[in-house]
Amino acid sequence: MGGPLATRNEQIGPFRGLIEAYGFVPNLFGLQKKLPRVIEAEQRLIDAIVVRESGLSRGLKGCLLRIVASAQGSDYCRALHARTESNDGEKDAALLAFANKLAKYAPWICKHDVEALRASGFDDSLILDVVLTVALGQLLCTLSNALRPNLDSGLPTPASIESSRLAEPVEWFDTGGPYLQASPQSASNFQPYAFFREQFGFVPKLFQEQMLRPDVVEAESQTLAQILMPEDLLSRVAKEHIVLIISAANLNTYFVAVHSQILTTLGVRLEDSDQIVEDHRCAAISPAEVALLDEVRKLACCATRLQTGFDPIPLQAHGFSEPQILEAVAMAAVTNFLNTLQAGLGAVPDFPPRRVFTRKDLYPSSAPSRLISDDTPPYDPDAAIIVRVQGGDTDAFEELVRRHSRRIFGTLAGLLGNLDDARDVTQDVFLKAFEHIGRFQGRSKFSTWLTSIAINTGTELLRQRKPCESLDGGEEDDEFRPRQIQSWADNPEQVLAATQRTDLVREGILRLPEKYRVVVLLRDINQVSTEEAAAALGLSIPAVKARLLRGRLMLRESLAPYFIRVEKKRSPDAQLR
Amino acid sequence: MLSCAEFLAEFGDYLEEAASPEVRARLEEHLHECKTCQVIVDSTRKTIRFVTDCDSFTLTADQVEPFVKGVMDRIREKKP
Repeated sequence: MGGPLATRNEQIGPFRGLIEAYGFVPNLFGLQKKLPRVIEAEQRLIDAIVVRESGLSRGLKGCLLRIVASAQGSDYCRALHARTESNDGEKDAALLAFANKLAKYAPWICKHDVEALRASGFDDSLILDVVLTVALGQLLCTLSNALRPNLDSGLPTPASIESSRLAEPVEWFDTGGPYLQASPQSASNFQPYAFFREQFGFVPKLFQEQMLRPDVVEAESQTLAQILMPEDLLSRVAKEHIVLIISAANLNTYFVAVHSQILTTLGVRLEDSDQIVEDHRCAAISPAEVALLDEVRKLACCATRLQTGFDPIPLQAHGFSEPQILEAVAMAAVTNFLNTLQAGLGAVPDFPPRRVFTRKDLYPSSAPSRLISDDTPPYDPDAAIIVRVQGGDTDAFEELVRRHSRRIFGTLAGLLGNLDDARDVTQDVFLKAFEHIGRFQGRSKFSTWLTSIAINTGTELLRQRKPCESLDGGEEDDEFRPRQIQSWADNPEQVLAATQRTDLVREGILRLPEKYRVVVLLRDINQVSTEEAAAALGLSIPAVKARLLRGRLMLRESLAPYFIRVEKKRSPDAQLR
Repeated sequence: MLSCAEFLAEFGDYLEEAASPEVRARLEEHLHECKTCQVIVDSTRKTIRFVTDCDSFTLTADQVEPFVKGVMDRIREKKP
């Protein structure tokens, strides 16, 4: 995406709002200068939420923005907002704790959190300001995590992470909203309402519930007009898909419900939107759009910690221009902004949701898996070698190839079903990894990053070969009923010779639909952890677990005829209840 | 008590011994009463054993070094 494109005092005219907010034009916005309408929209939100006087002081807003930056691991945004202080003591502490929870654990926010703020003396107007500021912080962090601007000269280099280590909340309350007592304004002459009616056919409740700040609603409607609506770069449908995929990753029932419905007005069936939400790789969209959603999904607030970072290179390889990539990033940022607003305000969906996200979508049992990890990067046994390679020591890369070639080859052999192809593609994967190792930042383990490259390269090859063939083998949400329910032999290893058994297992794995096959290969053949598999595949941990179980059960079905206990007929009670 | 469908939806973590004590207790209560699910658990465990033992998708030890050399040769060729 190039280096920093704007510096202090450059092009003051178009960036006037930023000069007012920051005193200079931050590199974050200079990097977007090929898309002025997006910068204009972002400036307008910053002006309405941060610069314009409201109940919250500028100092406190700066504090909130730093909290979000710490939660999202954005050193750039922490530095950008480092100069503001707040010293309202204990009263502020309640606000900061709320902001921290909203920034890190938005799906857990409930009415009780808002009531606690009221009990500390904050009125609804102030609470709305806090939610807006945190949401804006998420927007800025999304941009900075995707565009990776250089630190602006003169800003302090951020010290070690300052975020309070807020433990993941234990309770998931489904209290229902809305949380604030906003009085809806009479809509007849309010321009933003006319815009929403014209574009969406209705006024989404999320905007109605911010009417304590009509100026902000106006800025939000203009932001949507400048980022979501134009069709000169990405299509409107492609951008709505970005809204869906980010909202699903953020477990935001409201936005998935509302934008699936909005998509019907653009000719997209609800079932097709469901597929984007469930697994976009199996949706009826082009390989280029699959790649776009693969990358953009990594920018979801709730996914940032576990994902490998957003990478524009695969998108460039699919023919996306720089302005198109910038627009996709801006759309992801706006979606994170809106999702955070909804979580903080508790807006209820305007339509009955077809998919309600619950705690179960985070992890179905109390196993110690986490969608959002703490701030510590994972321990990586390859870290020292990577530093050497990044420093120009090509020979050091040899050890990385040696360590990981068997596992990557194994994954690709199972995915492609052909050992020669697997050998060629494994070579390509290591070449790509070497070429892009400068971009590897250590947010995930190197092995996860490498696996992710392998799966993307392998699935791309499969799609080139069979573009019309659906790689989807069915919905994991459908109930899967085992048919083979006769007892197996006590020692099935003795039933068939090892080579026959291996052949059966190999064929069974190759017959699995791709989405189950990949997970079985990673977890059972290559012994990759659930968390690593989820990160490499860009899936949630529950999705990986569900696919693994389905894959194993399907394999069991295919192997069962060879291993059932022959001397015993099916018992009369052997049926599912 | 859980139905078979509920049991089958939940027993993934149980197979990996990662289910919480409460979930585990509910699953085992069902399992104790249900012969069919006992068969499914037993045969799924055996399936996993077969899959983890499967060596069809791997480079053999003697193939690794030539492979590493091939990759590094291509990298060095490309390097200016």
